Amino acid sequence: MTLGARDIEKRFGHRTVLRRVNLELLPGEVVLLRGANGSGKTTLARILATVLASDRGTVTFEGRPVRSQLRRARRSIGFQSHRPLLYLGLTPLENLDFFGRLAGIPEAGVHARRLLGRFGLEEFLDAPVERFSRGMLQRVSLARALLPEPKILILDEPYAGLDAEGSATLNDLLEEARDRGAAALVISHDVERVAPLVTRECVMRGGVLEDGSMDQATA
Amino acid sequence: MTLFHVTAKDLKLHARDARFLATLALFSLSLVLILSVAFGPLFQDPAREASATLWAALFFAGVLGLTRALDMESESGGGEALRLTGADPFAIYGGKTIANFVLMAALFALVLPCAAVFFDVGNLAVLPALAGVAALALVGYAAWGTLFAALARGLKARELLLSVLLFPTLIPLWIGAVKLTHSLWADGTIEAVRDWVKIMVVMDVLGLALAAWLYEVIQEAEE
Repeated sequence: MTLGARDIEKRFGHRTVLRRVNLELLPGEVVLLRGANGSGKTTLARILATVLASDRGTVTFEGRPVRSQLRRARRSIGFQSHRPLLYLGLTPLENLDFFGRLAGIPEAGVHARRLLGRFGLEEFLDAPVERFSRGMLQRVSLARALLPEPKILILDEPYAGLDAEGSATLNDLLEEARDRGAAALVISHDVERVAPLVTRECVMRGGVLEDGSMDQATA
Repeated sequence: MTLFHVTAKDLKLHARDARFLATLALFSLSLVLILSVAFGPLFQDPAREASATLWAALFFAGVLGLTRALDMESESGGGEALRLTGADPFAIYGGKTIANFVLMAALFALVLPCAAVFFDVGNLAVLPALAGVAALALVGYAAWGTLFAALARGLKARELLLSVLLFPTLIPLWIGAVKLTHSLWADGTIEAVRDWVKIMVVMDVLGLALAAWLYEVIQEAEE
């Protein structure tokens, strides 16, 4: 499965955040997206994840506009963002079980328990996530994004707040995703942590994506 | 199943928020107490005063409930993750509407006996009919309230917008609820004002139909 951005533009008020951005995520590749704060990385990630609409341009899923197959595309995309995207009053297991069931995952609770276990959260399965530290919240948030074994992963600063053990687990899971043919876009300043997995690198400067054009990606 | 899961999730979150539940209960009971003192101790038309007090308490407490439900979705992005599951938007709406209805029904069960005791009105014989009136009013309230809460989500002045949209829209529903309750408590029947049942049914169906048509658009347009 492929996810692409064609000539994406986005403005917030008078400020242009993305300028004619083109990018394609192909099966089995891990794309690192770097760039300074405020360069438009998160906005691009949110547009690709279908959370945010672009002002111009098209996001494509398997070559067709994503908006024409929104529900199907969303079930194939795992998105982790700066915000935890969790219900704070629920436990990690309840959160993942809930989102998993809604995404149509069979035995979501079993998968959730196993994934949370890999992130070292076995002892905290029954505690509301509102009591969690930032690193623990990040682990639950990553587990939520990875739960459906998505074909496309969009991870925005996935290493933020993670210790060495958490980072190693994330890399293991990313490697497994890559091996089963998933594509991943990883936005990170921790280049060293993700470097062993990266197959392509793009840089965002002032809303312009460099070294990530579709021609280069498919060459 | 989406509908069931969303309802269960919302009710679970409400049930775990003891401060919210206490605020809701205290607010509505205080309103009943204050108005019973204001109208009393010698009531001119206790059935009329009690029905107005009952529905005023439920109406304002309901806004608190809808605001809390709105906050639950926006804090930490739970609502965003819900959208990204690819679940049927109308089933999500349905689940949230049922949860709001259950919350309001629980509040009704709490406030009703207090209003009946403070104003010395009502009897058990009209209780089933009164429950029917409450169901009509609260289905509409939850249907319109959930739709408007989705519309207000993500805005800075969301509580204001919710109230501005909700208050005028629900006027027919609330007048109907007051008139039917008054009739039941005063005469033991709704014969004299039975046309209000039709108006309330129309309001309920209209709210649900509008949501079926618009909820997905509203959900996707919230950013």
